[in-house]
Amino acid sequence: MATRKKSLLKVIILGDSSVGKTSLMNQYINKRFSNQYKATIGADFCTKEVIADDRVVTMQIWDTAGQERFQSLGVAFYRGADCCVLVYDVTSPNSFKNLDSWRDEFLIQASPRDPDHFPFVVLGNKVDMDNRQVSTRRAQQWCQSKNDMPYFETSAKDGTNVELAFQTIARNALAQEAEVELYNEFPDQIRLNTDRNNRNGNSDNCQC
Amino acid sequence: MWIHPKEILIPPAFWVDEMRSKYFVLQKRRGHGESRSFTSLLVNTLDSVWDTKPPPYRILHQTPKSEVYYEIAIGLTQEEIVKDWEWLAENLFKVLNEMESEEEITNFTICKIQSLNAQNNQDESDESANFKVSASKFQTLFEMPKEERLVNTYACTYVKNKIPNQGNLYISLNHICFYSYMLGSETKRVIRFAELEDIKRHGQIIYLKTVNNMHYNFTLLKDVKEAYGLIEQLNKMAIQQLIQDPDSPIVDHDASVFQRFGRKASNKPGLLRDLTARQKSEEYRNYFRLPQTEIIDGQIKANIWTPYAKRYVGGNIYLSRNFFCFRSDVIDLVSLVIPMRNIKSVEQKNDGPHRYDNQIVLLTAENVHFVFAQIVDREVLVEKISELLSQFHVPISRERAKYDISWSKQSALMNSFKTNLSAEMLKIQEQKLSRWESHFRDFGRGISMFRTTDVINLIVEGIPDKLRQEIWLLFSGAIHEKDMNPGLYEDLVEKAACIKHSSTHDEIDRDLHRSLPEHAAFQHADGIGALRRVLQAYALRNPQVGYCQAMNIVSSVFLLFCDEDNAFWLLASLCENLLPDYYKDKVVGAQIDQSVLNELVETYLPELHSHLDQLGIIRMISLSWLLTIFISVIRYESALHIIDCFFYDGAKIIFVVSLQILEWNCEKLLKCNDDGEAMEVLSRYLDGIYNPEYRLPPQSDKQKPETQPIQTLIHEAYTNFGAKISQQKIEELRNKHRRLTIRQFDIDNENTIVKFHADNMYFDREELHLLLTIIREEKSTPRKVLQQKAHSALGGESPILLPTTATGRSAGYAENNCSRSESYSVDFDTFRALFHELTPWRNCVSIDLAEKLFRLTDKKSTGSIEFSQIINALGLVCSHKYTEKLKLLYILHLPPLLSKAEIEHVRRPKSKAKEDAEEAIEAEDFFGDDPSESIEALPSPTDNNFDEDDYALITATKHLHSLAGLSQPSSSTAGAINGERSSTFYVDLPRQHGTPMDVARSQNGASGSTSDLIDNGLRHQGRFESTDTFSDISDLGAVKVTPPQLNVETISNFSQISDLIMATRVERTDSTTDTKSLGSLRYLLDQPDDGNAPNKNIPNMKKANFQFLWRSLMEIIGEQDEDMRKAYENLLELGNNNMKKEISLDSFTQLNLGNGDEPDSNGNPTTPSVESNATTRLFQAYEEELKQNSSTGGTGSSSNSSTDVDSWEISINQFIATVLAVTSIVQCFYMKTPIKENIERMQKNRRKCVITNY
Ligand SMILES: Nc1nc2c(ncn2[C@@H]2O[C@H](COP(=O)(O)OP(=O)(O)OP(=O)(O)O)[C@@H](O)[C@H]2O)c(=O)[nH]1
Ligand SMILES: [Mg+2]
Repeated sequence: MATRKKSLLKVIILGDSSVGKTSLMNQYINKRFSNQYKATIGADFCTKEVIADDRVVTMQIWDTAGQERFQSLGVAFYRGADCCVLVYDVTSPNSFKNLDSWRDEFLIQASPRDPDHFPFVVLGNKVDMDNRQVSTRRAQQWCQSKNDMPYFETSAKDGTNVELAFQTIARNALAQEAEVELYNEFPDQIRLNTDRNNRNGNSDNCQC
Repeated sequence: MWIHPKEILIPPAFWVDEMRSKYFVLQKRRGHGESRSFTSLLVNTLDSVWDTKPPPYRILHQTPKSEVYYEIAIGLTQEEIVKDWEWLAENLFKVLNEMESEEEITNFTICKIQSLNAQNNQDESDESANFKVSASKFQTLFEMPKEERLVNTYACTYVKNKIPNQGNLYISLNHICFYSYMLGSETKRVIRFAELEDIKRHGQIIYLKTVNNMHYNFTLLKDVKEAYGLIEQLNKMAIQQLIQDPDSPIVDHDASVFQRFGRKASNKPGLLRDLTARQKSEEYRNYFRLPQTEIIDGQIKANIWTPYAKRYVGGNIYLSRNFFCFRSDVIDLVSLVIPMRNIKSVEQKNDGPHRYDNQIVLLTAENVHFVFAQIVDREVLVEKISELLSQFHVPISRERAKYDISWSKQSALMNSFKTNLSAEMLKIQEQKLSRWESHFRDFGRGISMFRTTDVINLIVEGIPDKLRQEIWLLFSGAIHEKDMNPGLYEDLVEKAACIKHSSTHDEIDRDLHRSLPEHAAFQHADGIGALRRVLQAYALRNPQVGYCQAMNIVSSVFLLFCDEDNAFWLLASLCENLLPDYYKDKVVGAQIDQSVLNELVETYLPELHSHLDQLGIIRMISLSWLLTIFISVIRYESALHIIDCFFYDGAKIIFVVSLQILEWNCEKLLKCNDDGEAMEVLSRYLDGIYNPEYRLPPQSDKQKPETQPIQTLIHEAYTNFGAKISQQKIEELRNKHRRLTIRQFDIDNENTIVKFHADNMYFDREELHLLLTIIREEKSTPRKVLQQKAHSALGGESPILLPTTATGRSAGYAENNCSRSESYSVDFDTFRALFHELTPWRNCVSIDLAEKLFRLTDKKSTGSIEFSQIINALGLVCSHKYTEKLKLLYILHLPPLLSKAEIEHVRRPKSKAKEDAEEAIEAEDFFGDDPSESIEALPSPTDNNFDEDDYALITATKHLHSLAGLSQPSSSTAGAINGERSSTFYVDLPRQHGTPMDVARSQNGASGSTSDLIDNGLRHQGRFESTDTFSDISDLGAVKVTPPQLNVETISNFSQISDLIMATRVERTDSTTDTKSLGSLRYLLDQPDDGNAPNKNIPNMKKANFQFLWRSLMEIIGEQDEDMRKAYENLLELGNNNMKKEISLDSFTQLNLGNGDEPDSNGNPTTPSVESNATTRLFQAYEEELKQNSSTGGTGSSSNSSTDVDSWEISINQFIATVLAVTSIVQCFYMKTPIKENIERMQKNRRKCVITNY
């Protein structure tokens, strides 16, 4: 059974500019914070092997640009996503307000099979800062109102909750996969799978 | 030709007097007509576009004692000027002689000439008679507005159904039109430039394809090249206009830029000459990297002496207002730019052997000599130059407002934040520097250095740090903008600093530390401050761009090597010239170049392309490459070498390097199975690119493995692809992909809108797509040319900061989607066109139903309605929902939509009231009337000249909008809707009444004891929800109450109700009928689901309105059969009956009618799908009423002969129940309109220019 599961998860990170998407991704991958990242132009990309539900899967994380004029370009990356991470900055109410539009835009452009149950995870980032402006309660309320999306308060700077959040992201993405299985349960999945495995082998060799 | 009289102090020496009178002198330009005609000299193609070229003849006015001459007329030919002279002799000489003072004479003359000049300008007589005929033909044949100017016509053959049609191609600024008249049949085609998707030329054939997939082949035996070039150019202009200002997609030509003196110098039409000049100027500016304002003035063959090679090189001299340029015939062999302000003198030199004759020597301010030889018509060139020199104004720093800002200009950051280079690397820098210095010795230094292929060799090696600023400014052309706008940067910085709250500034601030964080300069306040100033100043200079991420990254690198004002000008030339439209909304320019790159990959790396295309990756990777010139993907000290080449070679270097990167990684990429893998391959490669001459100490502990030196990459890129990809090729591809990209935006946009509206009730996806297409097309028809154009002024004159809304995406999804579909909202004219072309109600001519429907739909009286509203309005009219359609028709004939004033206006010829019996005939008679009268007489909804009636109407409708329930978005819950509804009762009730709970309660009660409830309801002073229960009486079959009983029980209560109604009405407005709840009628459009719901909200109709309603009905159906006639008489009768029981029935009708909101007998809400139910219910109500009428009215209606029109009225249900019994009406209204066919027919008509006036 396990071999039937896809072992590549595509995760896409959305949110306003400078809420900390790139920093979160790098904190998760490299376990450290750096204030030396440039603003993301177009999109960035990282992979990481994770263990979720006792399986090793490759997580492909796409970090997109946040400025509005790039929004229409993100569309190319949305397709085939298994999980969408919505990030806002707890010190910026605007970035919180815009989550709605990020979410809707994702749903309409990615057209997931089952929009009501597509896994989103919401991250309120920069909780290490003391000029917080969006209350936990408000964020939680909003998440609940949208099909109870999981919500985490993170800090890319000190690493708070980052690991936990991405674990949840991986698990929810996998769950989504499992559901998809129910629809198309047939062998091309297996072929795909072997390809992926080979690929993973390769990439490990090259990665230094 | 008379001109506006101009004062001339001392007439220059190169004029000779030809004729003289006491007060006038006719002069000829020296040298004119002696050897070659003046106009043939400088240029052939551009012969008449010089804004500075003086015509060869002129007439001056001067009084003997005056020092001042006035130039009053000019002429291109002797004939022309003599004509003017003769006019003077005939009309002025005598008059002037009789005058006394010289002052008087001069004043009179000037006055006279001014008025002559004004007259001449009116009939724009500069075009040939032939062309004028064509132009007016063009306007009539294709119904083009006057503003749409014809450029030229071409004889041509258009093959349609294999039959060649011989005719003419009319090319105007926005359209290509074809017309032929053969064997008695006309063929017309109209194509907009903006809708072209493909333009090709094969020999004599021009092939066009539009976005609607229409193909056209035009064969031109003559001038095919000119026509093709023109089509390409105008298409490019149309698309650029779309990018520049999508709201006004009409190309206009600003002739003032090309002030023309030379008339009739060429037989080409003026506009064509202007366009040619425009095209040439663009090429000229692009090649020499000159400012956008330079208009080419002339071109002349000459040889240049190249001291470094000690020989002459053939080429052309180009002149424009501020520059003297030279370009060799051999591509890139040598070119030269000399700013006019640097020219100290021009001399003719006549020694030397034949080869060197006709020389001129140009001396610059730096005392450098440039020698040109074999110049045809040297005198004119010299004269021309001296003229340009005399007109030249040294740009002066404008008076600046003082700001309370203290700042100092940051010099190149590399000076204060030195990189520690090893001795070896410093040596490399020194060696480079000395190579450059020797180059300067040979080729000159500064703007006017000889630009040869030698310099590109130096640049490819990497410019030494110390020279970067100088070379970048020079080759980018930024230096010219800087020189022409002294003080502008400082001014912008200070203005920007005074802006307090700006979201643009917030965005900039967020990115300051994320630009080049690895460099020490940007970890320091100096670097950050300079970067902030540059970005803020630029946002202020160019509000259309504002601030786009990626600008911060390139600017920070500029700041390392340049002083901050120079960095600013480099950024400006990047945004405005070198990377056109890159940083605009949607980074459209970069998207276009992504497509260009994609095509280049397809051409040169076909195998790789098909693989990458599958992965869909080229677009993902290339965006940051383009927007940041690789700085965001390659370490900056390596990317610098690409930037060095970039300023010399433009976007070409980005393309060739991109191709080289892909080629280098080809094998690995071919092995990739998904986009992520390919991304990794590339980023690993790019991370490893290094610069051996500039090795910085490792940044982080985790050093990336080196892959390739940047020098190798650039070198191989040029070797492999440099020769294949020319600037011209890039431009061609850009033109093509500009079209396609803009088209793709529309497609994406429309797809999203369709997705959003997919579950509307009327149209399927395909129909929605078509509807969007036709709206888009309709909005850019020539009629729309008249729309005023808002020019956003580029350039630094009066910069305005980007309005904060552009970035304030505080909106939720709904609003987000709104902005997307904004471009698909329509104004009244467009709506009317759609209504008449697409709906079956176009047959209705007496009443302008389009106008009524538009008013009903346009809730906020904004003069435009949104796409979702269009769906509902047109959808209903085109649907098969016959009951709703009839209701809508009824509503459209109610006041205030159909006002008393309007009725009276239409009826005026027959103002006398007729006998009832004659009414039906009268209604038919109206057919004979001229319907246009009624339509024209009405104010259009966008018209501002409302008379009082209209004003009342507007306020009334406005008021009605504010009534609850109607402006609720459809997403509101059913409960809310019910609640709102019950309070939007016929008479407005206070909000707090009629919550759904109340209604439910009272309804429950209704089944118990009716009379109790009535009392109860009324005791609650206007708790009108109780009246809902009245309708229950007829609907809930459970309680059968006979009318007399009810009557006895409640008659007094009814009058109470109506008193209340009256009171409310009076309070609200003095008009008794016009303010009725039209707003509440909108539910029909807003919630068509509940179509059969609250008929109770719809007021009764007066006789006059009803007659019009009937007339419309007849017009829609097209005839009146016996059944209809009967129905009409029945309704008239019903109206009479209603009248007799005035008060009680008036209110009763309101109460008695069906209501879909209420639960059915089982207490379940009735669903809209139960349509038959609704109909039967209507009949029940109708019968009920009839019973009432006969019982309470007593005597028969026929005895009533006093026609009191004011109290005649029928209710909606009476109307509907009656007409539903007529088969022909039901059949007609049940028919669904084939919207798809109608739209396609409409498109076809537009293409063929079948003109319909609505
Ligand atoms: N204090 C604090 N700062 C953070 C945190 N996360 C990110 N930042 C800072 O916030 C800024 C923006 O972070 P990025 O990760 O570049 O933001 P982004 O969302 O990738 O932005 P775009 O690429 O423009 O879409 C940087 O200066 C980070 O150093 C955090 O958790 N705490
Ligand atoms: Mg980022």
